[in-house]
Amino acid sequence: MWERTLQDLIRGLRANKKDESKFIAKAVDEIRKEIKSDDMELKAGAVLKLTYLDMLGYDMSWASFHVVEVMSSPRFHLKSVGYLAAVQSFDQETDVLMLTTNLLKKDMTSAPTDISVALNGLSHVVTPDLARDLSPELITMLTHSRAHIRKRAILALYKVMVKYPEVLPQGVAKLKDKLDDPDPGVVASTVNVLCELARRKPEDYLTLAPQLFHLLTTSSNNWMLIKIVKLFGSLSPYEPRLVRKLQPPITELISTTPAISLLYECVHTCIIGGMLQGSSGDSLARMCVSKLAAFIQDADQNLKYIALLALVKIVPSHPHLVAEYQDTILASVNDQDISIRMRALDLVSAMVSSNSLQSIVQQVLSHLVPDTSSSTLPTAAQSLAQHTVPTSPTTAKPHISPSQSPAYRLILSQRILTMCSQSMYENVTNFEWYLSVLVDLAHVANVDIGPQIRDQLVDVVGRVKGGETGSCSEVLWAAAWICGEYCSELSEPQKLLPYLLQPQISTLLPEIIAVYIHATSKIFGHWAAEVAQRWDDDDLPEVKSMVDLVLGRAREFVGNSDVEVQERAANTVQLFTFIQADLNAYRPKPVDNPFAEASSSFDPIGSAEPRFPKSLYLLQPLHGAYDLNPVALAAQASVPVPEGLDLDAWIVAPPQEPAPEVDADVKARKVKKGKGKEKAMGTGNGVVLTPEYEEDVETVEDRERRLAERRERLRDDPYYIIDDKPSTSKRAHEDIDSIPVVRLDDMPSLADVDDSRILPSLKEDYTPPSSYVIDRDGEMPEGAVVPSQTATPRTMTPVSRNTPTLTSFPQYEVEDEVRTSTPEPIKYSSGIV
Amino acid sequence: MFPARHFMQLPWTPPELEAFLGPKGEEDERWRVVYRSYATLYFVFVVDGAESELGILDLIQVFVESLDRAFENVCELDLVFQFDEVHHILAEIIQGGLVLETNVEEIDNSVQVSAKLRKESFASANPLSLGIGVGGAGSRGGNLKSPLGWLTGKITGGRAM
Repeated sequence: MWERTLQDLIRGLRANKKDESKFIAKAVDEIRKEIKSDDMELKAGAVLKLTYLDMLGYDMSWASFHVVEVMSSPRFHLKSVGYLAAVQSFDQETDVLMLTTNLLKKDMTSAPTDISVALNGLSHVVTPDLARDLSPELITMLTHSRAHIRKRAILALYKVMVKYPEVLPQGVAKLKDKLDDPDPGVVASTVNVLCELARRKPEDYLTLAPQLFHLLTTSSNNWMLIKIVKLFGSLSPYEPRLVRKLQPPITELISTTPAISLLYECVHTCIIGGMLQGSSGDSLARMCVSKLAAFIQDADQNLKYIALLALVKIVPSHPHLVAEYQDTILASVNDQDISIRMRALDLVSAMVSSNSLQSIVQQVLSHLVPDTSSSTLPTAAQSLAQHTVPTSPTTAKPHISPSQSPAYRLILSQRILTMCSQSMYENVTNFEWYLSVLVDLAHVANVDIGPQIRDQLVDVVGRVKGGETGSCSEVLWAAAWICGEYCSELSEPQKLLPYLLQPQISTLLPEIIAVYIHATSKIFGHWAAEVAQRWDDDDLPEVKSMVDLVLGRAREFVGNSDVEVQERAANTVQLFTFIQADLNAYRPKPVDNPFAEASSSFDPIGSAEPRFPKSLYLLQPLHGAYDLNPVALAAQASVPVPEGLDLDAWIVAPPQEPAPEVDADVKARKVKKGKGKEKAMGTGNGVVLTPEYEEDVETVEDRERRLAERRERLRDDPYYIIDDKPSTSKRAHEDIDSIPVVRLDDMPSLADVDDSRILPSLKEDYTPPSSYVIDRDGEMPEGAVVPSQTATPRTMTPVSRNTPTLTSFPQYEVEDEVRTSTPEPIKYSSGIV
Repeated sequence: MFPARHFMQLPWTPPELEAFLGPKGEEDERWRVVYRSYATLYFVFVVDGAESELGILDLIQVFVESLDRAFENVCELDLVFQFDEVHHILAEIIQGGLVLETNVEEIDNSVQVSAKLRKESFASANPLSLGIGVGGAGSRGGNLKSPLGWLTGKITGGRAM
């Protein structure tokens, strides 16, 4: 006997990991020979080896007849091998199963050990035919003298009833008797089966309630109790009286059982079974919630997880009870485990009410705030962070926190938006607050949430009427302007147009409407040029409908009472009418025509003709010719004076008499300045002063005096209405340098626009740079003479934008450390392999 | 009810702690993966809505304790080299996807009875054998030592199952 045993095969597999398939091919060849042997031991050994290979994914269906041969061996150790192979490799389509009916019948009337092997095998391989033929034997087996056989027969009967429902009535009747079996294991198996049956059709099993209730109050088998509790959970909707009857024993179980699994199942059943309704349910509900809250604080992550799941279900009926544990639940959003965080977020979202929304959103928002920040000025993000709850000790190591993962941040941001906007802003009581949340979110999110925030901004203003909206219109002005000016940053600009043109905008302030209309034209211009570049005749309808949309909406504003809106609308209408006419005149050129192709090659004029409607390029140059860059504070003053230009020389000598008044305020003031100087210096003409010098010399008193003179003069002028309040006049001459300027931190650089505009095709892959370059000094003219006061650069230290990204890397290293700290894996001693 | 088939190749990268994988499909009919790790060993059960997740964790504990009794300080090599024995033990806990027995004593008794019978049957068929057969529990030869009692150390008594 030199054949390989199973152990030899396994050792060989482990030694031949490099060319496993070759080794297995050889082994299977040997098995094919061995399996045909007359020696039953050898045959069984081959089947066992095949079973092992089957487990690894190698097919053994070809050997099913040999499996049946081994099953039929009278020797128990061989029979076991045969049944094991059958259980693992047979399925409903295995044809040799037809041959097993008599074998199974015989084994089921044999020694007890044969019976249990046969019953176990039958449970796995049963087909409708086998179920029909063997059900009488199974039914009689339910009263076998051995409890072990009765248990197996009960479970096998379930599988038979599933395959052959005709036996169901008889089987269920027998099962009811088995609930009173003297052996607790048999009762537990019966409950298992009844639970499965009742899950499919609970109303048929209501008559079992008294027996089950008795078991619930007397048994100590936790597995069975869990099943019974679950069974009652599915029965109670069909029998409302059960709820009241179940409350006492379930309360008893919840308060006394030491088994967490049973405790949880009771709580869970109470929730989903509607046992917490009414006055009697209130104390039970309180108990359930307190138990679940204790689970959340447990060290066992599994308990945390399922407790959060269960609390989500209890929130709709008892929000006030869950709200008591708001802080505990919010702390779970900080958990290390991402799946627990997600469940906690689910729960937090479900808990939102008009009272709790603000505090919840504020805390969720704080999770988006970077943990470490070395910025010198307190940013909005940092001041937010100061208001967060003290974080739990589990987040002591912020660098391994999943808060840094972009996917998680995106989900968090989306959650904030859904929490606030659900049921039409049902829970938002203060829209000014919500707008500030949106702005904060845009600031700290650092993920691709921009479009949603924008939609929210537009939606809020479009929907919400009332005093609060006044404060947000500036935001919309900015939003619309940014959309228009930086439309090349948008991947699908045309989708924005309907938002900018929605009917609600007519309720906005005129200046904002004007910006909207202008932004529309900018975006369309950009988009049209983009479409033209990759022109396809199929685009025509879309472009046409977009033009129609713009025209339709713009025409409504042509008659607007505000002159700026009127002019913008009129301009837009004219330009778009032109485009519309061009589009209507456009006829698609045939491309697939070989003659056209050939002829065009001889006709240079024809080939030069663009394939797209030319008017698509009409608007882009109007808006996109120059990049808009921030201009430095001192740029104007630093423009070098060209050779031969004397700025100080009068172009037209000033008249002796005061010049007639000019409407524009600035002009008037300049003239006045010059005049005032003249008087102060006491010279009539020829004195020339640079403007800077003038500013420096001019004192506050001077200015006050001049303004007083001016007011005096204007008093009698019928073209001026004089405001008597002195405060307004004071504001008019406030020193510009003293206006406080707040440095906006972390603003995206405006200078970055260039690249993406030049390479529009790369926009899709555009990822925001981890550290922004901020053009703080602004654009300076070429060859600028830098004045001394701007020579000291402002804080040029890059903002700490890149810090969080860097700290996200150690996460993996730490994980590795955790891995290595687990107990040493078993070392395979080389001697045995 | 769950398929009594344990996966030898985990279809995903196991996370650090035992947990339940997310739901799939309808609320009640979804399949859930409940798993528990004992150092380098992962026990994975796939269950449907009829089962309690925590109950299954306890059941995994029962399974491991039964293995530990049958193999006396079970280790990976026991599970690899005597997969048939592992199946026989599992068959005393689960039959056809339904739980048969959860009492470790009962399970251990049944396992011992059938193992003894297989051994006797083998011995009577091979009177000259030295105790090495097709799938007998006696095949754990002298060179297959499991010097580490680590798994028993891991088992700190299940949750009153």
